[in-house]
Amino acid sequence: MAKKSKNSKGKNVVVEEEEDRLIPNLLDEEPRNSTQEEEDKAESSSSEYVSSDDNAGAEGADGYDSLTDTESESVDDEGNVTTDDDNDGESDSSEDEVAPRNTVGDVPFEWYKDEEHIGYDIAGKKIKKKEREDKLDSFLASADDSENWRKIYDEYNDEMVELTKGETKMIRRVLKGMAPHPEFDPYPTAVDWVSIDDAEHPFPNAPEPKRRFVPSKWESKMIVRLVRGIRKGLIKVDDKPKEENRVYLLWGDDPNSTERHHIPPPKPKLPGHEESYNPSLEYIPTEEEMKSYELMYEEDRPKFIPKRFTSMRSVPAYNKAVRETFDRCLDLYLCPRSQKKRINIDPESLKPKLPSRKDLKPYPTTCYLEYKGHRGPVVSISTDSTGQWIASGSNDGTVRFWEVETGRCLRVWEFGEAVKHVAWNPSPELPVLAVSVGQDVFLLKTGLGNGEEQKRVEDLLNVGSQMTPDDSDGGESIVKWSRDDNHGGIRLNHFKTVSSVEWHRKGDYFSTLMPYDILLLSSVLVHQLSKGLTQRIPFKLHGLPVSSAFHPTRSIFFISTKKNVRVYDLLKQRLIKKLETGVREVSSIAIHPGGDNVIVGSKDGKLCWFDMDLSSQPYRVLNCHPKDITNIAFHRSYPLFASSSDDCTAYVFHGMVYSDLNQNPLIVPLEILRGHASANGRGVLDCKFHPRQPWLFTAGADSVIKLYCH
Amino acid sequence: MDVDGDAEEASRRVQVRFVTKLKPPYKAPPASIAIPTNLTRFGLSALVNNLLKAGNADWKNEAFDFLIDGELVRMSLEEFLIAKGISAEKILEIEYNKAVAPRKEEEPSLHDDWVSAVDGSSPRFILTGCYDGLGRIWKAAGLCTHLLEGHTGAITSVCILNPKVESGIEQVVATASKDMTLRLFKVNTEKSRGRPKKVQAFKSFRGHNASVQCIAAAPSGDRICSGSWDSRINLWQANDFDSGGDFVSIKKRKKDTEDEESKSEGEAISTLVGHTQCVSSVVWAEHETLYSSSWDHSIRRWDVETGKDSMNMYCGKVINCLDVGGESSSLIAAGGSDPILRIWDPRKPGTLAPIFQFSSHTSWISGCKWHDKSWYHLVSASYDGKVMLWDLRTAWPLAVINTHGDKVLCADWWKSDCVISGGADSKLCIASEISVM
Repeated sequence: MAKKSKNSKGKNVVVEEEEDRLIPNLLDEEPRNSTQEEEDKAESSSSEYVSSDDNAGAEGADGYDSLTDTESESVDDEGNVTTDDDNDGESDSSEDEVAPRNTVGDVPFEWYKDEEHIGYDIAGKKIKKKEREDKLDSFLASADDSENWRKIYDEYNDEMVELTKGETKMIRRVLKGMAPHPEFDPYPTAVDWVSIDDAEHPFPNAPEPKRRFVPSKWESKMIVRLVRGIRKGLIKVDDKPKEENRVYLLWGDDPNSTERHHIPPPKPKLPGHEESYNPSLEYIPTEEEMKSYELMYEEDRPKFIPKRFTSMRSVPAYNKAVRETFDRCLDLYLCPRSQKKRINIDPESLKPKLPSRKDLKPYPTTCYLEYKGHRGPVVSISTDSTGQWIASGSNDGTVRFWEVETGRCLRVWEFGEAVKHVAWNPSPELPVLAVSVGQDVFLLKTGLGNGEEQKRVEDLLNVGSQMTPDDSDGGESIVKWSRDDNHGGIRLNHFKTVSSVEWHRKGDYFSTLMPYDILLLSSVLVHQLSKGLTQRIPFKLHGLPVSSAFHPTRSIFFISTKKNVRVYDLLKQRLIKKLETGVREVSSIAIHPGGDNVIVGSKDGKLCWFDMDLSSQPYRVLNCHPKDITNIAFHRSYPLFASSSDDCTAYVFHGMVYSDLNQNPLIVPLEILRGHASANGRGVLDCKFHPRQPWLFTAGADSVIKLYCH
Repeated sequence: MDVDGDAEEASRRVQVRFVTKLKPPYKAPPASIAIPTNLTRFGLSALVNNLLKAGNADWKNEAFDFLIDGELVRMSLEEFLIAKGISAEKILEIEYNKAVAPRKEEEPSLHDDWVSAVDGSSPRFILTGCYDGLGRIWKAAGLCTHLLEGHTGAITSVCILNPKVESGIEQVVATASKDMTLRLFKVNTEKSRGRPKKVQAFKSFRGHNASVQCIAAAPSGDRICSGSWDSRINLWQANDFDSGGDFVSIKKRKKDTEDEESKSEGEAISTLVGHTQCVSSVVWAEHETLYSSSWDHSIRRWDVETGKDSMNMYCGKVINCLDVGGESSSLIAAGGSDPILRIWDPRKPGTLAPIFQFSSHTSWISGCKWHDKSWYHLVSASYDGKVMLWDLRTAWPLAVINTHGDKVLCADWWKSDCVISGGADSKLCIASEISVM
């Protein structure tokens, strides 16, 4: 078989011995031959190799095969082919050469055990078993024969074979685990017969065939065939767009919803030059930058500040390691083991929505007019019901009477003692001014109004001269009513210092307050002007009274002590309510013209707004003034209220009370009015609104009255 | 041209031609000249003076004011042209007028108390009202001829009836006071002696329930109206007196005051009700129309015949003073409890926004008056002690008169070229030689 293959192909010199390798080679050859004819037509790339292989003498081998061919040949050349062949085919070829007599093949010897022959020779004749030599003889013979050790009994042929020298050498080499032939070099130096690297042209150096540059005939034929087919209608072109697959993933995630998709975290920044242990100078912050870092908040500071070290060895350990480890441990220890639902609330939305100040105009903003003339702190002011005049009382012992419009002082009353309080009768028909000076309360006629009104006032105040002291409920006279000719009015002599005078809205009743009456029996008195009567308040007071006020519409009376405000019903003569202010010391009280809301100013700068319908606790406490609040006031018609303080400012607020009971009052701070100078630690001592305009009068310890207009 | 000769080569130049409506001695040659654009009003004034001096050897320098496209120049020419977007390429026509500014301050006329009201509508005398309850008539600065007696309260407002009648006839003047009355006086201004003549009222009007704040006479002089703190406007008949009986009543009054006074008292012929607060100012603009302003933040126009208000304008602020004048006597100027003098055009439909706002004052405005001939000029008085002259064609005041040391309570024009003002320093100040038109 090997000989045959040698004839057909030179290549098979190496692989001749193995038949199973030969067969695929032969199988390979056949299709290759058949394809060679096709290749010319189909311009396959292998055709190049075909042409190049022709030189090497192989017909259909490709480039790779030819390479291996040359290699194997070279191997053959190196090792002497002849000896090689002999040694290689020791078992077979020696058999062939010595003409193997037995032809039974590889069958067990037992089969011929009992036969007289051991097999058949090539001619078919029985090969007879040799006669057994005598063991002793053979031993003796072997002992004599020095070559005996290289003699081997061949059972198959039934003869003795003597090994040659070369054969024993080969056996020894094999036993040592070496290649049988000493000439064989297991590590030959590889020789690059063909170098591709610096080839100027591609390895197959044939010129481009013409067919590359000519339009393909085959393609044009194909196209013509297709066109014909289409024309004849044999081939149908589907113009309709492919119908879209209406199948969709029913249970899968919605690809549009992003919330459940995993979004990978952003990749951390790779370390740069600045994180080197010895960064170049431009990365190192300057002194100013370092200082600016120190001024920053911890969070805003850059996480890493580049620093230089002379060597890697001097780089210290991470200085925050302990701290961060501890923090991490703390996080783990304190972290809640359940998922916390975060509430997303805009902090802005939690702020109460206050309307803009612009929408709440008009309110007093700027001081345009000043009323100058007093020589001491102006303690109290009061406006006429029409808003044409104001009266003011001062520590210099005078009461002055001003024209609002021009700031002209029209009249001065001298009392010679510090004036505590002035109050204008709220009734427009009775232009009477009540003034409290020391232990006296004076009712002065102002000389305003038409003749009729003046006459009425005259009559009223004249009656006072004939008045006998009242004795309504004490037996002893609390207050002496007498005519005062110096000032043209009535004088009510109290037994203690009177701190304030408040009129009832109708202008007939007024109340006086004597805070230093220790017995508390008659510290609050109510007087009736038309009858010249004086009454005690029939309630027991708990604490010294600070101020009092009449309800604007109903017969309710408010008395504030230092801590609380008590509300009494005068008709039923009982306590209605007690408002707990919670402040240190109440200084003033004002009633909203609607009557249901009360504001209370305190000496610790707090302003409490009470909604009487709501509770006895303050609806709102405004902590605005740094010093004592001296007075507070409501505007009669505009939704405004104001507070004046010893810190030389007056605050103006918007205080809207709704008729709807469900809606709470709206309080908006509007303006801080400045301008007064401080004198002896006191600032603004009184504030009053103009009855009809959104204007505020403030009386200062600097003996000036200011008018703030919108 | 010395201005041309100045070393101002760097600045740009513009071709201008000076025109004027003034009479010939003030007329500059109509040729156009190139002037640098960095000239201000003073530079322009010097230029025009030089031009006039070239034509007239004995020319006295005069201050001028310049108008370009109906706008007064109040900055350098260059800035003005840029601000108004006027091209500097073509020949610019600059109109010049004599500057409106007082050239002379008369000696202040001293009163005994605050001067609360002035009226300069008659060219022959000035009428003032004072807080001491006396009205005074001044022929000139410091020359008081008559004292008008009778009021028991401060006078708040004064007016002259028929101011334009020729001399020789006794002039009738009216005063309003805080004692709730109005009084009419007859004065013969021709007779002037060394000492002021005391005059008693020949008629008094009662009817207001609060102090009378303002008074105004009808153009015909037969009626007067008054506004008061009782928020009403009363109309009074002023001309039904018989001159014969009046002198008798004055003579008799000395014997029997109570009786005679009631005889000469008048009643209101009608009352205009509508305002809710003090009526601070009234102006009788035309025969049957009067305007009023009030502390209730409104300005109203009344039809006298029907007694109804035909217009009610809400202004948002307390109005203290009001005047009607300007273009076809229909612009309303008013000032009040803020430092802004506002001017409305009631003919504009649908809007209540003022067309002009002048805000150079720093306190309440107490008085404002239109010039009786010019459409553009008005005077305002304020509590900040300043009297300002305004021109509608510029937002800056033309002149500021600073002679008062305290609040100025009233101001008016006199003889078309003087501004008279009275204030809380008890002075009547006259700033004269103001060349309006």
